[in-house]
Amino acid sequence: MLENILSALDILFQPARLLALFAGMLAGMVFGMLPGLGGVAAVSILLPFIYLMDGYAGLAMLLGAISVIYTSDTITSVLLGAPGSPASAPTAIEGHALAKQGKASLALGVGFLASMVGGLCGALILSVAIPIAGPLVLALGTPELFMFALVGLCFAASMVGKDLAVGLTAACFGILLGVIGAAPAAANYRFIFGQSYLMDGLSLPIVALGLFAVAELIGMVASGGGIATKPTPLGKWGDSFHEFWRSRWLICRSSVIGIFGGFVPAVGASASTWIAYGHAMSSTKDKRRFGKGEIRGVASAEGANNATIISDLVPTMLFSVPGGPAAAIFLGALFSFGFYPGPRMVSESPDLMYMIVWSVALASVMGAAICFAVTPYIARLTRVNFALIAAPLLLIMVAGAYQGTQTFGDILALLALGLLGWLMKNAGIPRAPVLVGFVLATPMEQYFWLTTQIHGFTWLTRPGVLIIASLIVIPLVLNVARRLRRRVGGEDDTGHRTEATAGEGELPGHDSSVVLITVLLMTVAFGYALVEMLGYRPNARLMPSLGIVPGLLLSLYVLGRQLVRIRRRGRSVSLASRRELPVLGGILLYGAAMWLIGFNLATLLLLAWLLIGCARMRWITALLYGATVYAIAQGMFMLMRLTPPQGTLLNLAMPW
Amino acid sequence: MNIPDTKPKTLAAALLVAAAGLASAPAMAEDFYAGKSIEMVVPFGEGGATYVAAKFLEPFLEKHLPGNPQVNVRTRPGGGSILGANWFQQNAEPDGETILFTTSSTSNPYVLGMDAVEYDLAAMRPAYSLPFGAVIYVSPHTGIESPADLHSPDMPLIYGGIAAAASDLPVLLAFDLLELDLRTVLGFDGRGPARLAFERGETNVDFQFTPAYMSQVVDMVEAGSAVPIMAGGSVGDDGVLSARDLAFPDYPSVYEVYEEINGEPPSGVEWDAFQAIGATTFNFGLTAYLPEGTPDEIIEIFEETIAAINADPDYQERSQEAIGGYDLLPASAVTDSLSEALQPSDEVRDYLRTLLADKYDVEL
Repeated sequence: MLENILSALDILFQPARLLALFAGMLAGMVFGMLPGLGGVAAVSILLPFIYLMDGYAGLAMLLGAISVIYTSDTITSVLLGAPGSPASAPTAIEGHALAKQGKASLALGVGFLASMVGGLCGALILSVAIPIAGPLVLALGTPELFMFALVGLCFAASMVGKDLAVGLTAACFGILLGVIGAAPAAANYRFIFGQSYLMDGLSLPIVALGLFAVAELIGMVASGGGIATKPTPLGKWGDSFHEFWRSRWLICRSSVIGIFGGFVPAVGASASTWIAYGHAMSSTKDKRRFGKGEIRGVASAEGANNATIISDLVPTMLFSVPGGPAAAIFLGALFSFGFYPGPRMVSESPDLMYMIVWSVALASVMGAAICFAVTPYIARLTRVNFALIAAPLLLIMVAGAYQGTQTFGDILALLALGLLGWLMKNAGIPRAPVLVGFVLATPMEQYFWLTTQIHGFTWLTRPGVLIIASLIVIPLVLNVARRLRRRVGGEDDTGHRTEATAGEGELPGHDSSVVLITVLLMTVAFGYALVEMLGYRPNARLMPSLGIVPGLLLSLYVLGRQLVRIRRRGRSVSLASRRELPVLGGILLYGAAMWLIGFNLATLLLLAWLLIGCARMRWITALLYGATVYAIAQGMFMLMRLTPPQGTLLNLAMPW
Repeated sequence: MNIPDTKPKTLAAALLVAAAGLASAPAMAEDFYAGKSIEMVVPFGEGGATYVAAKFLEPFLEKHLPGNPQVNVRTRPGGGSILGANWFQQNAEPDGETILFTTSSTSNPYVLGMDAVEYDLAAMRPAYSLPFGAVIYVSPHTGIESPADLHSPDMPLIYGGIAAAASDLPVLLAFDLLELDLRTVLGFDGRGPARLAFERGETNVDFQFTPAYMSQVVDMVEAGSAVPIMAGGSVGDDGVLSARDLAFPDYPSVYEVYEEINGEPPSGVEWDAFQAIGATTFNFGLTAYLPEGTPDEIIEIFEETIAAINADPDYQERSQEAIGGYDLLPASAVTDSLSEALQPSDEVRDYLRTLLADKYDVEL
């Protein structure tokens, strides 16, 4: 075995292969940083290039990209507050809060190091795939997969924000978005309004981009300054090493949770990251900082998500069942190079297996190091007038969304969700539970259906199910016990009390009309969905009803509460929200323009508006900068081998 | 732009090409694709079986097509392949430079007449097909050792699949044809997860397509944890889906199993339905379609190219592992049978729709 480990290192340490690994890493880092373009985009863009190399080099390239995605997206999550996936949402919540407090370097440093540890743990589990990981994967039956998803969703919905009713409404709304498309348990298409675009449901990058990135972008353009209102010093890295060392065991435990996430197809990182985050919360004595910038939240989430994306490769290599979408593309690449994954491949070509382990380990360490190196430069961007960054960012987002199905539906979905995200942000409704509910709705429904079909109700007594269930039940019991003890001790929990009352009141700065409109919109959506749902087959109704019925009741409650508040205290107007309206309008108009006159012409108008109208650049600099951005956008489309959206009225064809 | 093509026009064109071809065909074909590129549209995501097969064929097409065009595999996923096929219908020109490479996921909705389908598959012209066989196997705990035991298992049979109207359809039709007493659990999100459930003992009947069978199930069979029962079969010279799968000459076809159990060859609407769906799934599993109205000249070019690829020793060597060692089927071997399978009689269509609605609760 040792001999194989060394000979694998020998295979990898060929200049061409190392170069490929490095190139893949760079691509992965860039795509991780770009909002909405995660691992899937990175590997699918690299895919055509790997065929130009030998098998080992090609695989090393993909592995390089896969290993660093969740490391580098820490930067975007922390600095922009826009997570690329549900698995980075905790980082965005805690890390961005820390960044606003001027502790960006702490969040980033711990995030990078935790990601590195997660990657290394993933590499470790890959190296023992046959004796240990394989049996573990087979031990997880359908009921356990269902429980894993359920626990993840429970954690995500209950831990975000102070207002539980609003958090749960958001999670329910996520489920509603998630059940759009084909039902897994019955042949029903749900909420597709006769559009074949919606048959596969909404795609995750578009939902993540719309809910977070578009809304953040609008806010930043409107505020007119940089991302940080005042220049944020990054701070010193030293603190982050210190904090990393203090959280080392938490990170290791989170990585183990993440590894299990990798064994659960489709649910993976979305659930495991939240479970790890919940674990961080329950293992931290002082919970008050969670949601307002708790470094342990970042540490656990980053340890878990990186471990998951690597351990996704275990079922891929052993059973040719990809653990996640990036692993699915990697599987295709393995086939193309004549490697046929299965226990036989793993035992017969240990060199390949250890080459993969080495690539992942090396990329995890180097990725973290490079992230440390480039962060100061990226942090400087946060002080530039955001309208300048917004232009390329918006174009990247459009390109990222458009690679979904290359139809106008992608753009429309992006803008509609962007509008929703903007409304939710300005109404103070947390968006992370929407994202998690969206991702987990389908796998939960599917696993629940399969579980009851295969096992009847005996599944409830399976040991694995009980162990995972204890993850929810034990912290709950402990909490109750702690509270009881406090009450017996007569100690008044003033901290919690004041916080609770603060949560009851209207959060300052939220425009009451925006809150009203958003909640009304959600209530109407739930109400409509309820009526529509009654026409579905019983088996297709189960999951939607779990989201719709409580969602409708909760949103009615929130709506009523809001109306009472308006009557009692009068309307409150948020100038910030009002000031963002023209930018929101501009971006929606850009979408309409794209539909009418195509991407190539509409983008020219967008650039003129953003650079001259918003950023107040001088004509000549605007022209130069605009031309560069335009060229880069066209380059992106070419690289992804996409034809930009064409107009229905007229279309400017590019000379190539 | 889509040129509506009528039969006489095609015929005239064919005659013209044939007449001209007598003198100059080799010269014309020689450089037909010189300096051109071909876009091979795969209506599924990267990394899927169709993508992998397309990438496998890409270099062979580049090598053997006259003029050595660049072949680019382009994925257009969505709607279970319907979106990509719709795009192809609306955008592809009949100039031989755009090919739709797809599976029964595209043809089943067409055959069943689903609403979302905007493409006319039967009007398109197949350029070549790659068979995509499948083997049905059971768990040894069922006590089933051969097809004859199928009706007397030691334990209730339970089959895990994806969706009745998708790639499970031919297998479900086979179960129906053979009147198996078996519980079907649909809702897995791929054949891989369904196989994992089989390995975990949650289900005890499964099927896998050739590549996955080779890489995963063969080991299980050797280890005694899976028992192969039958293969889907292939279309014989008589145009019936009765012959054995060329990749699995040892496993009986569904046709043979029926004959063994019932003492007579299968017939009737149940068989016709299985034959229509089974042929497009297995025998013409992966088919390259050219747009309606593609001139015969181009079809002829592909005919020769496919023959050359099949004769390429490199192809023969590498296809064994990559795709189960099937030869490519040229258009001449595909067109008629495929066209028949794509346009079953109203009786068969009604049977399929009724079966899906009554037994699997699928309304189309």
